[in-house]
Amino acid sequence: MKTPLEQALPTTRRGFLQLGLMGTATLALGSTIATLTGCTSPLEQNSEYKFLQPNDREFFAALIPVVLNKSFPGDADYDAAMKTTLLALDDLIYTLQYHNRIQMRQLFDALSFAPIRIAAGASWASWKDMSPKKIDDFLVSWRESMIPQKRMGYVALSKLIGICWYAQPASFAATGYPGPPTKIPTPVANKTSITSNISTAENS
Amino acid sequence: MAKKVFEEIRGITDPILEGISNGWVTLDAGDYTENSTLEADVAIIGTGAGGGTTAEILAKAGLKVLLIEEGPLKSSNDFKMDERQAYKDLYQENAGRMNKDGSMSILQGRCVGGTTVINWTSSFRTPEQTLQYWGDKFSTKGVSKDEMAPWFAKMEERLNIAPWALPANENNAVLSRGADALDIPWKVIPRNVAGCWNLGFCGTGCPTNAKQSMLVTTIPSAMDEGSQLLYSARAERLIMDDKKVTGIEVTALDKNYRPTGITVTVKATTVVLAAGGINGPAMMLRSKAPDPKGLVGKRTFFHPTIFSFASFEQEINPYYGAPQSIYSDHFQWDTVDGPVGYKLEVPPLHPGLTSVLLMGHGEAQFDELNKLPNLSSMIALLRDGFNEDSQGGSIELADDGSAIIDYPINDYLWEGVKRTHLSMAELQFAAGAKAVRPAHTEAKWETSWEDSKAAINKLDYSASRALVGSAHVMGGMTMGEDLDQCVVGSDGKYHYLDNLYVIDGSVFPTSIGANPQLSIYGMSCRLATGLAEKLTGKKLS
Repeated sequence: MKTPLEQALPTTRRGFLQLGLMGTATLALGSTIATLTGCTSPLEQNSEYKFLQPNDREFFAALIPVVLNKSFPGDADYDAAMKTTLLALDDLIYTLQYHNRIQMRQLFDALSFAPIRIAAGASWASWKDMSPKKIDDFLVSWRESMIPQKRMGYVALSKLIGICWYAQPASFAATGYPGPPTKIPTPVANKTSITSNISTAENS
Repeated sequence: MAKKVFEEIRGITDPILEGISNGWVTLDAGDYTENSTLEADVAIIGTGAGGGTTAEILAKAGLKVLLIEEGPLKSSNDFKMDERQAYKDLYQENAGRMNKDGSMSILQGRCVGGTTVINWTSSFRTPEQTLQYWGDKFSTKGVSKDEMAPWFAKMEERLNIAPWALPANENNAVLSRGADALDIPWKVIPRNVAGCWNLGFCGTGCPTNAKQSMLVTTIPSAMDEGSQLLYSARAERLIMDDKKVTGIEVTALDKNYRPTGITVTVKATTVVLAAGGINGPAMMLRSKAPDPKGLVGKRTFFHPTIFSFASFEQEINPYYGAPQSIYSDHFQWDTVDGPVGYKLEVPPLHPGLTSVLLMGHGEAQFDELNKLPNLSSMIALLRDGFNEDSQGGSIELADDGSAIIDYPINDYLWEGVKRTHLSMAELQFAAGAKAVRPAHTEAKWETSWEDSKAAINKLDYSASRALVGSAHVMGGMTMGEDLDQCVVGSDGKYHYLDNLYVIDGSVFPTSIGANPQLSIYGMSCRLATGLAEKLTGKKLS
């Protein structure tokens, strides 16, 4: 398991996600300071999350109801819908290949650091204390930014949240999607799914 | 209120489970607890359109074949038409694959059967103009229209490819109706299906095995001949001795697609690379395979795909019915190598994917998704690679050796994007849409073609504003005899290694100008037959 510093440094050095006017240096500084001052929060031991640290989850928990608006929590209980969506986000981001995964890490680390939040168009307040209006303003400012990296950040965040929620059956009532047919698997030799038969292989 | 067309699917036999129960050798690399070695006459890296086609031909010629697949082995019992499960099990990066600057989302398969398991079944022969261009510009031999025709015919028969015989669903009918109103020619799409239920879930793995993907056709046939399948197994690098490949170092992956720490070494007399235009070149770069002109991973093409949404009074139910059945090439071949041409088609709209395509958030996006049953979309596939301003992307390696796809959308392509927005909006209004919005973060819903046209003409076309997607990965290992541009010979042999063959869509010198699966099948059938004849000394065709 890499420490947050190790996770942050290789990318900040190369400055993948350059937040334009703020400059690579500011971001590198912000991301590194966030790490050094303990403003990032490593994964808890035995966490059910594979990628999203407590700070990242707080960030998404603030964004999710704003991005999803009246479709959330749909048919589900609010906390249950939030948990399901966070776990789906965690799974998706964990599955991204290195380049995109590291860009996500860097984005989250930077946005967890108040001075970067201000520079990025959000507010000094932590994400959980930010009003929905302020979060919406932040999203709109990134969407309409002249800086390609901010627009990419907007598209990435809204896409990730969208696909992780609207693929959930709890959202179907909100979209009017009647859902797929029910699939009844057909067992073969008493099995309905594939198990390994590695022991039968000829190893040379 | 929209209703389900089918409530339940049952009684579908699972050919993979049956095969395993009948003694197929399928090996989950994640289960190995110590480093191991496997041997074969031919090792094939990748099990998609290229690898699957090649495996059947080589196995039937009597060669001992080992298939290596990075993704998991899933089959019809697992295909529940559930976006969550499908993206996780069957797609590269959980359907979240993007290019380097995030301006293009890429849908690509990652499972036994590759993208053929999750594609929308559209099957076109490579257009004559494209084949001609390859011969003229890259000295690719044996790929003229007449030379390729028998290979396409063979694969059309093998995979039951024929124009869709049922009426188009409402989503596709928007394209034909709009085209008729504007006097634009359109045609019915040929599909590789047998006994299709017209459900609409091709993209989440066919639940009825009607789609004639590699998973239910060539791979079972190769397995019946005694081939072995190693899955959850990433070909990390080639092991080379001078100009010969002696083996492949394979990384075993766990259920989360992370290395287990175990390496399987595959030894083979001949190696076929069929891992597609992203992962294939990345494996070559990791291997530091000889490439004197630095061409590996260059000229990667994607058919950058542009979206336009339309809302209708009547229900469209864009998630049900054969996802693609109508197309128009009206804007495709005005010139071969001038401003970018494009094919018009229709995508299915399931809610998870649709939320991504709509590119928005908050109340505005809720209002759009809230009317999903009345929503329709059209797509335009840009034919990249035919102009000096369209040289394609390049594959780079990240620190951990994984691929980075450097494919910036340049002004040549943006000019085309804007034209596609205009043509699609005009078609959608002509088909009776009450409002249209191109997939662009600044675009609003407009209620007339005139307003829409004026609005599109004012939009700023740049990265992460207009939506660009791709479901077609091509190029990266250019085929032809011109050594200044090509790394693979017209017989599929890698120019700089004696026993490495590349047989998949990565050999295409440009994009195709049509959904590429039949192009890959036909080309692979030709190359694999030649290879089988060379290896066995017997005449097959």
